[in-house]
Amino acid sequence: MKYSFILFGILFGFILSRAGATTFDNYINLFLFRDLQLLWVIASAVLVAGFGVQLLRLARARALFSGEALTFVGKPMTRDLWLGAILFGVGWGMTGSCPGSAVAMLGEGKMAVLATIAGIFVGTYLFAWRDYRRGKSTPCNRSF
Amino acid sequence: MVWPGWLGGVAVGTYVIIQHWVSGRMLGVSSGYCNFISPFSRLSFFQNAEHGSFNSWRLWFLLGLPIGSFIAAFTSPGFEWHPTFDMGLYDDLLPTVWWVKLPVLFIGGVVMGLGARMAGGCTSGHAISGIALLNPPSFAAAILFFASGLGFVQLLFYLLGR
Repeated sequence: MKYSFILFGILFGFILSRAGATTFDNYINLFLFRDLQLLWVIASAVLVAGFGVQLLRLARARALFSGEALTFVGKPMTRDLWLGAILFGVGWGMTGSCPGSAVAMLGEGKMAVLATIAGIFVGTYLFAWRDYRRGKSTPCNRSF
Repeated sequence: MVWPGWLGGVAVGTYVIIQHWVSGRMLGVSSGYCNFISPFSRLSFFQNAEHGSFNSWRLWFLLGLPIGSFIAAFTSPGFEWHPTFDMGLYDDLLPTVWWVKLPVLFIGGVVMGLGARMAGGCTSGHAISGIALLNPPSFAAAILFFASGLGFVQLLFYLLGR
């Protein structure tokens, strides 16, 4: 099942590119209100996904892979969320990419994102190191 | 070739539902970066329930992204694939010399990576999946993502006198 996610990644990378999320200009134009392409992408994505999630919930759908009941649990509120979201926005505006689109941009030969991606790894590590210094041991995510 | 925004969004939204229905996992990109660090770090943050990061769907998902965008570029009219460090309009905003520009992008990446982990997700996990789930913390995160990105770029343009 986990290997099938390379196919999911290919599909999502294709969509990101077609949606204009792999074009640097679309980020700067969004933040300067010159062209709201990416705002329309996110707005209609949320609308469609929101309706779809409700349908899956009402139908009590099960995952096709595992047969397990689908879960609809959102991410928790944390004290870190506020500052984290502000920091994320700064990086988002500064680099003209986000963690997903930066990786997708590599496939289009936009090599400047190599520096951004290296930075994301270091930022992720800094968070883990801070957790370690504070004696916390929550894993980043769980594998299958 | 870029689709109109609404169509791109419909594609993204449909994708989210398909992935969730098929696999039981909601879309979320940024924590996949953890799975690449796992083999090289003993910090508990990177140790998953089952040790061995290559055992995560998130890692394979991230590896698929550049293949998908390559196919998208390849199937666009007038396809030409050549590696470039050009960043379009960002080249007016960022330092033009590569040895300053790349460190600036690196710092932007550090801030974004740290911020994503502190916030618990990025554009996909909070702004798309989270809002689709009507999850209040995700609304807060997504609004702050936008407000902060907007504020930063506007401020930078103001300071640079553009």
